[in-house]
Amino acid sequence: MSVHRTRWLLEKELRELAASRSYWLLLLVIGALVGHQFMTATSIYTEASGAGGGPAALSQGLSPLEGIVVPTLGAYDIAATLLFPFVVIRLIANEKQTGALALTLQSPLPFAATMAAKLLALLAAWLVAGLAGAIALVTWRGVGGHLYGPETMTVVLGHVLRGLLTIGVSAAAAALATSAASAAIVALTVTLGTWALDYVAAARGGVIASVAAYTPSAALRVFEHGELRVATLLILVTLGVGGLVVATVWLREGEQVSRRVRDVVFALVAIVALCIAFARVRDSRDVSEDRRNSFPGADEAALRTIDAPLHVTVYLAAEDPRLVDLERGVLAKLRRTMNEVDVTYAARGRSGLFERPDQHYGEIWYQLGDRREMTRSTTDEIVLETIYRLAGRAAPSAANEKPYPGYPVTARMTAVPWIFFLAWPLVVMVTWWLGRRRGVSRRRID
Amino acid sequence: MSAPPPDAAPDISLPALNRPVDVRVEGLSKRYGPFWALRDASFDVHAGEILGLIGPNGSGKTTLFRSVAGLAPATSGAVRHAGEVIAPKHRKHFLYFVPDGIRPWPDQTVDWVLRFTAGLHGATVQARDEIVESLGLASLLGARLRELSKGEHRRVMLAVGLLTPQPLLMLDEPFDGLDLRQTRDVMSVLTAHARSGVGRTLFLSIHQLGDAARICDRLVLLSEGRVAGEGTLNELRARANLGEAHSLEDVFLALT
Repeated sequence: MSVHRTRWLLEKELRELAASRSYWLLLLVIGALVGHQFMTATSIYTEASGAGGGPAALSQGLSPLEGIVVPTLGAYDIAATLLFPFVVIRLIANEKQTGALALTLQSPLPFAATMAAKLLALLAAWLVAGLAGAIALVTWRGVGGHLYGPETMTVVLGHVLRGLLTIGVSAAAAALATSAASAAIVALTVTLGTWALDYVAAARGGVIASVAAYTPSAALRVFEHGELRVATLLILVTLGVGGLVVATVWLREGEQVSRRVRDVVFALVAIVALCIAFARVRDSRDVSEDRRNSFPGADEAALRTIDAPLHVTVYLAAEDPRLVDLERGVLAKLRRTMNEVDVTYAARGRSGLFERPDQHYGEIWYQLGDRREMTRSTTDEIVLETIYRLAGRAAPSAANEKPYPGYPVTARMTAVPWIFFLAWPLVVMVTWWLGRRRGVSRRRID
Repeated sequence: MSAPPPDAAPDISLPALNRPVDVRVEGLSKRYGPFWALRDASFDVHAGEILGLIGPNGSGKTTLFRSVAGLAPATSGAVRHAGEVIAPKHRKHFLYFVPDGIRPWPDQTVDWVLRFTAGLHGATVQARDEIVESLGLASLLGARLRELSKGEHRRVMLAVGLLTPQPLLMLDEPFDGLDLRQTRDVMSVLTAHARSGVGRTLFLSIHQLGDAARICDRLVLLSEGRVAGEGTLNELRARANLGEAHSLEDVFLALT
């Protein structure tokens, strides 16, 4: 009986979504966004492959992940920021404004079941919007383009989680705010806040940088780099579901306000505690075909045999681009590979007017046991040599490593504008029109 | 003895559905800042009766209904069955409340809203068809709720309430927006609903005193958030020292 009733709840949410103009607008716009991104990406990619008659780039540099998949699906980041929040807010704020909430709260199922139905319906809506991206990728394969399944699916997973995060934040905003307009302002303010956090973190480092690693943009970047990082995945799920929990708690209008405030605070504390705990999870997998997040296999095997903890002291400020190179090209890989890596960021910011120059600035110290060595290099080859010297062993041979071949594509995709700027909007508008037409045609039939 | 705070209510076993129940509202108060919308409201709802809540605009009728239904927290007071307090979160298993002035699911058709309500609350197709027929909704099934007139919408909301199985059904202003003939028809439907089969307790908030006198078995008079009287029309007349020739309006004015 419960399953039967849950089906009705889910159908209600899906029907409400189908009646939402903001969702149809999202579908309409996402086609154009994906189409534009895809056309730009393929144009640059085929140009680099030598399609225009110019010199082709080295094929190893032609990766469909960063050349096609990431920019094309990047349209969904824009949609999740500027369009999808309104779809979520409408679904919840409408329920409050029309009074439907009073009836929903009296449903025989727990109110959490109603909110779970909303979550499932919204995720389904987000996946339907994902069809435009799927069409782009199928088109790419159709002209002979290469896609590596694990890395492509990881980027897709990143966008699904990005959608979940939007659902959580927007649902909480819609529940807490008094109107849909106020909720939209709150949701956009949260987004702007995360952008500001990204900006500040780029110059400050420290705790702010640790927090900023989980802003929507930063978290999505992890998946876009072909890395399946468990901490990022768990934190995005926690924030998304946590937002729904906050909304569920606050919408129980029959409870005293003081109790609802207490429960919301408790939920927020639990969300923060879980995020802090999950941030300590180090497990991750490099699913990129070119293993961009890993050292060569022989080096990884050698590094795993080093039991002593590696201490790294970095004298580079957060805003220094060399630190970005070091983080992405060396430290992130070391953390994924070695048993224990402890990094100390010893330099303060250099952007302040009254900062004094540090004589150690630019140095990076590596310590294994009681042996220490300094290098200023941020390239992985030099750093690995340093670590092997400290460990007292020779660098392994890389003879068996298979280089990434690269996948140049020179085919032209003339049908793309027709698909995304004509067929897609036509299908969306006709589907919307047919949906609107049902009901009306049956008015007042005896 | 003061009534316990609503949130301290112990859980009780729920009554068997489809069986009329006695309910006691005890010392219900609701305060918005310095303003008391309800003050120590106490009265009984008897099993199988049609009870009317009457009072002028702003007397606290809707606040009382929302508090009894557990949709708005009361400042103090309790709702009891067989002496046990029913916690606000459990009242939805006990009673169903159709508020006044709501316009839910405007983009859905009448047919779907009724199928949804019946499906969610476990009503049979036959029950749904009977309610559609009795409220004259057959010709509106294909219309979206946003397209309905006030009276049509009111009848759809009544159908929603009648499709639910809780032993006590609370309707806020069920005749508002209906013309004379529709009001009489809906009264017949509600009376039949309350009297048929195992019967169902109806608790109606009614603005028009004439309507209330025609349909209700007993009445609760609410004035400035306080219960000014409770009983049958004759009991209320006696309390107001008025003869049988006096209408409910006279009684109401005498008691408030």
